[in-house]
Amino acid sequence: MGYYLQQLVNGICLGGMYALMSVGYSLVYSIMNFSNFAHGGVIMIGAYIGYFALTALGCPFFLTFLLCGLGSGVLAILLERFVYTPLRKRSAPSLYFIISAMGASIFLENLVIAVIDGTPRNYPEIFKNTINIGGLNLGLDSLLMIIITAVSLFILMFIIHKTKIGLAIRACSYNEKVATLMGINGDLVIFVVFLMGGILAGFAGMLYGMRFIVKPTIGLVTNKSFVAAVFGGLGSLPGAIVGSLLLGIMEIFVASWNSAYRDLFVYALLILVLVVKPSGLMGKVTEDKA
Amino acid sequence: MSWYYIEGILIQSCYTMLIVLGLSILTGYTGMFSFGHAGFVCIGAYISVICTMALGINYWISLLISGLCAMVLGALLGRITLNLKGDYFCIATLGVGEAIRLIFNNLQLELNVGGKHFVLDGAKGVASVPLKTTFVGSLIVVIFFLIATTFLMNSKHGRNMLAVREDELAAQMSGINTFKSKMLAMCMSALYAGIAGGMLAHYFGYIQPRMFMMVKSTEYTIMVIFGGMGSITGSVLGTLLLCALPELLRAVGDWRLVFYGLAVVVIMIVRPKGLMGGKELSDLPFIAKLLGKNKAAKKLPTSDNGKEAQA
Amino acid sequence: MRKLLAILLVSVMLIGTLAGCGEKESDTIKLGWMGSLTGDQAAYGTCEYQTLQLLVEKKNAAGGILGKQIELIGYDTKGDAQEAVNVAKRLCAQDKVCAIIGPNASGQCIAIQSVLDEYKISDMSTVATNEKVTVQDGVLKEFNFRICFLDPEQGRIAGKFVGEYLGFDKVAILYDVNDDYGQGLKDNFVNVFTAMGGTVVAEEKYNGGDTDFTAQLTKIKETDAQIIFTPIFYQDFINIHKQARTLGMELPMLGGDGCASEVLFDAADAVNGSYVINHVSLTDPSGEAFRTEYAQKWNGAKMELNGYMAYDAFLAWCAAVEKAGSDDPIKIAEAYTQIEVDGMTGKIKISPENHNPIGKSGCVEQIDGVNKTYIFVTKIPTE
Repeated sequence: MGYYLQQLVNGICLGGMYALMSVGYSLVYSIMNFSNFAHGGVIMIGAYIGYFALTALGCPFFLTFLLCGLGSGVLAILLERFVYTPLRKRSAPSLYFIISAMGASIFLENLVIAVIDGTPRNYPEIFKNTINIGGLNLGLDSLLMIIITAVSLFILMFIIHKTKIGLAIRACSYNEKVATLMGINGDLVIFVVFLMGGILAGFAGMLYGMRFIVKPTIGLVTNKSFVAAVFGGLGSLPGAIVGSLLLGIMEIFVASWNSAYRDLFVYALLILVLVVKPSGLMGKVTEDKA
Repeated sequence: MSWYYIEGILIQSCYTMLIVLGLSILTGYTGMFSFGHAGFVCIGAYISVICTMALGINYWISLLISGLCAMVLGALLGRITLNLKGDYFCIATLGVGEAIRLIFNNLQLELNVGGKHFVLDGAKGVASVPLKTTFVGSLIVVIFFLIATTFLMNSKHGRNMLAVREDELAAQMSGINTFKSKMLAMCMSALYAGIAGGMLAHYFGYIQPRMFMMVKSTEYTIMVIFGGMGSITGSVLGTLLLCALPELLRAVGDWRLVFYGLAVVVIMIVRPKGLMGGKELSDLPFIAKLLGKNKAAKKLPTSDNGKEAQA
Repeated sequence: MRKLLAILLVSVMLIGTLAGCGEKESDTIKLGWMGSLTGDQAAYGTCEYQTLQLLVEKKNAAGGILGKQIELIGYDTKGDAQEAVNVAKRLCAQDKVCAIIGPNASGQCIAIQSVLDEYKISDMSTVATNEKVTVQDGVLKEFNFRICFLDPEQGRIAGKFVGEYLGFDKVAILYDVNDDYGQGLKDNFVNVFTAMGGTVVAEEKYNGGDTDFTAQLTKIKETDAQIIFTPIFYQDFINIHKQARTLGMELPMLGGDGCASEVLFDAADAVNGSYVINHVSLTDPSGEAFRTEYAQKWNGAKMELNGYMAYDAFLAWCAAVEKAGSDDPIKIAEAYTQIEVDGMTGKIKISPENHNPIGKSGCVEQIDGVNKTYIFVTKIPTE
């Protein structure tokens, strides 16, 4: 029994990581109806910022954490300003956004390779990582991921549903043009959304780096969090988290049965979801308005 | 420079051009972005290898078979995913592309047919594939498909695809069966990719699933973007530029991809039509005059013009 | 304006292309090198290349070889077999080197074989340990050589160490299914270990590129394994250790020659107490002089295993060139089996039957995470 519980805990830890990554992505999608495929690149930069802050600058842990969030937040805003805004202003078809996002992601990944290098790096050991709760083991970093995800979710839901800017965000998500006609500053809304998404990406990047490894290609890990977001329902924040946790748990159990199939399982699940219920577990069903 | 070295680059350019041509039909003309095109190439490569090595089928016929298999897969995929909205479609193609690669990663196959011993060993792929791809052969294939694509794109089908790209809803209301157009685009692009996969396998002499990762799909898409969406000449130029150049500019190395990523973003913002601007070689003034084409009829409404008129 | 810009851009690119062509006549002896300067094995490749650069510099300062200066031409294979083939073609056809040193991975060596055969240029691999690199299906590859021991031998060394030296009889294995090297090593280990009476209580796999091993490690935790054998590379070795310690597992692990690296000390706490097999002891005093020189030239960098192998490969190449008396690639290839040098990793003598070195031994070292160094444990000869 303890064995299965431990695997469950492993699954929740893995799912927690996917959740932290997919919340930022889902947030942008729910507001702008567009998949920010450059999210992986922002996470990766967050991981690098954390690494250099810790090793080259010798910052203490909490300061590094804040720096990562800030750095990634700024990057996300820069991306939005220079890559997406020009397209937005010209009402370019969504295809252009996707292609640009892909281009930006490639740019970031290879910029890091060219400027720094592609060698994997490991975070220095900051604290003793293992926690034992009732015979079950998990890492402090995993626990942090789960806590931060939960807290972020509450804060985000609070902002979106209880504040004025949240109201503006929700209005823009229905129809940006009409919202701006009503006097809402569309640019400010998008600025806030990307900033929040970027900060979360920064945290995700740093925790990922701590837990695993830092290299330019870690942006690819976000593929699985995309799957998780779709599974939980694109456009729904709680959905992204629920989907991620479930995906993590299922993936671990598949891995414990036969680890060669774990990735295949994730993508097969994706195809299944898209065929049976594309709106996922908790997503909103949108129709094309004529 | 030795011919052996150049020939290698040219052959690689040829089959890459074929893939890019196919992808151009899907992304450039019909406006569907695929993250998983490398999956079709993968299928083509493996099927062709099974044909030539295990079943002893002639190389050219095996190319045809692998193309057809890829096409069938494309049709199946289309059936499932083409009704999905843009972003969902992208993620779906990502999933399928990766799934195909992972299936081959885990596949262990050992066939003994008619005295031929064939081993497919999971991630280690297939080795000792007979080297059948020659420069002349590849060139013939590419030219054939270039001509075929030109005919296709200049026909009603091509124009339908362009209409779907510009505004799917409007196209539907004009009476175009958008699903059929998208399906045609998907199948054609899969066919091209499958055949190119066979050529790739018989050029390198071995195949491994890791040769078909998602980065490859994005590389092909970049080539389409560079040359310009909706232009066959563009795809040819894009491929030549981005395929032959890296090998020759090896010294620049890491910065090449940085430049590509940046260039894609800039192109999307400044000149989405890419290098060729959505036009063909035959649209250049003097050639057009030579061919007696009516340039006015060729101008299609661009997305910028259309949307600006609405809002 | 835009059209002009486009035309300008294309012309610049074309000129750049053409500039790459053109023959260069030179009075130097060209030695090629290829390996991973980027990617997961960058630490290894970089060390090889830097070692060779240092050695070539020294040799040239002392007058070069056969009266000519040595020109070292090196390329990055990015750890990818496809790239290795392209690089090999460039070295052979374009740069026209007389011999190649590297690559450091078996998969890449096997891939470039057809290029080597076509151009009749030899390749001395530094640490490619898979048997198929020099002999496949009973056929000797004319232009592939290596300077390191093979996986069957390494597997045997691992088996003997765990079974005899440590006296364990229950082992768990965790390896990468996608990797030729790991698979070969694992198979050989299992054969030797089970023949000694030991039991493999768990055999877990993962796909190269995976970063999460908690599922497999939890399964291993359920067994009564005394040690985990991990025939993998150093980066995964680090991750597996970190996650194992997080799960509360205190088991030591045994890694192959792909694990021995200075990078391990990034996670010194986690890897403390585990073992690695190596071609030579990284703390062997006889290598001290060169280690200091290397650190001086390369800003205090520490040498990896590959540096020693590259050193020996270079010695072998120099001897072969002098024996052949010219920079004719075919003569050098022939000379490889006729020379005998004293290298950093022992006496180097290449067998004409299988192009592998004769009589090398492997040593096992324990990782001292506290002092961030290796402790020599024992030396086990190959047979």
